[in-house]
Amino acid sequence: MKLRVVEIKANIMRKNDALAARLRERFAGAGTLAVNLLSSPGSGKTTLLEETLRRLSAHRKVAALVGDQATANDAERLQRSGAPVRQITTAAECRLDADMIEGALAGWEVGPLDALFVENVGNLICPAEYDLGEDLRVVLFSVTEGEDKPLKYPLAFNTSQVVLVTKCDIADAVGFNREAAYASLREVNPGIEIIELSARTGEGMERWMALLEGRIARKSAALALAPG
Amino acid sequence: MHELSIALSLLEGINEAAERERITRVSSVRLRVGVLSGIAPDALRFSWDLASEDTIAAGSKLEIEEVPLVVMCQTCAARVTPLAGTGLVCPMCGSVCPNIVSGRELELVAMEVPT
Repeated sequence: MKLRVVEIKANIMRKNDALAARLRERFAGAGTLAVNLLSSPGSGKTTLLEETLRRLSAHRKVAALVGDQATANDAERLQRSGAPVRQITTAAECRLDADMIEGALAGWEVGPLDALFVENVGNLICPAEYDLGEDLRVVLFSVTEGEDKPLKYPLAFNTSQVVLVTKCDIADAVGFNREAAYASLREVNPGIEIIELSARTGEGMERWMALLEGRIARKSAALALAPG
Repeated sequence: MHELSIALSLLEGINEAAERERITRVSSVRLRVGVLSGIAPDALRFSWDLASEDTIAAGSKLEIEEVPLVVMCQTCAARVTPLAGTGLVCPMCGSVCPNIVSGRELELVAMEVPT
């Protein structure tokens, strides 16, 4: 059988990238700061988000989308913060994609938002590949994880602008080696902003909230300055 | 992990190109997959067999070219490949090189079709 080669040259991610660009435009048009939270399972993402939503809800309009392969447990927990929360159950998929975000936002009557948080599926591999139209990608790194985690999952840490070192109240108890952890973070992303915190004790939360407030203010200022 | 959805996206790309080129049968598909993409070639081949069943690409072979990680080292003014497990560090001078030149590819390059 004779064969001929047909050139294609297409990026397989282009459909997701196009949808993400559309979401980014939509968030810009609404002045909504979109935050994509990445982490390993069990790094304290839901506890952190619950506390973050609770603090912001006092004076900001915020909401969250939560991705999990199964169960609506996280959404139920997050709703205790008082903010609107919608669960995305991904079934076989190990990450959220832009299409799922668009689908979850459709028909969700939450009104204009200052910030939308997306809690991605707990996994550091696949979510790193998928742009969700976010302004800020934040990766969690709990003190109970190995100090070389950034070296094992370089893309997740390389594409994030902020790393939250979570559960820092137990750092000493678990023998967290700060120098080694920060050295491996810098090896994949020297510019990443590092915030140590504990959602349980509240330690370091102020810095994280200040960062979010700054970003929210910038986002709404950009909207006010936008032509038309 | 997300190989099945990648396989389905791949199939979409194949179908678009096939329609354009009026192709009804595909024998093999060439891909470029970066080492940082999180794609396991064997898992992708397995997913491909499932995803391509009963399509114009049924039974087709996936030819996967793995693209190594290459970063730009500002200090050495050179493109270098970090040693495995060292993050984005230049193997020559040890400086951190956050600019990834290649290694994230997920590219549908070409397909072979019977004439």
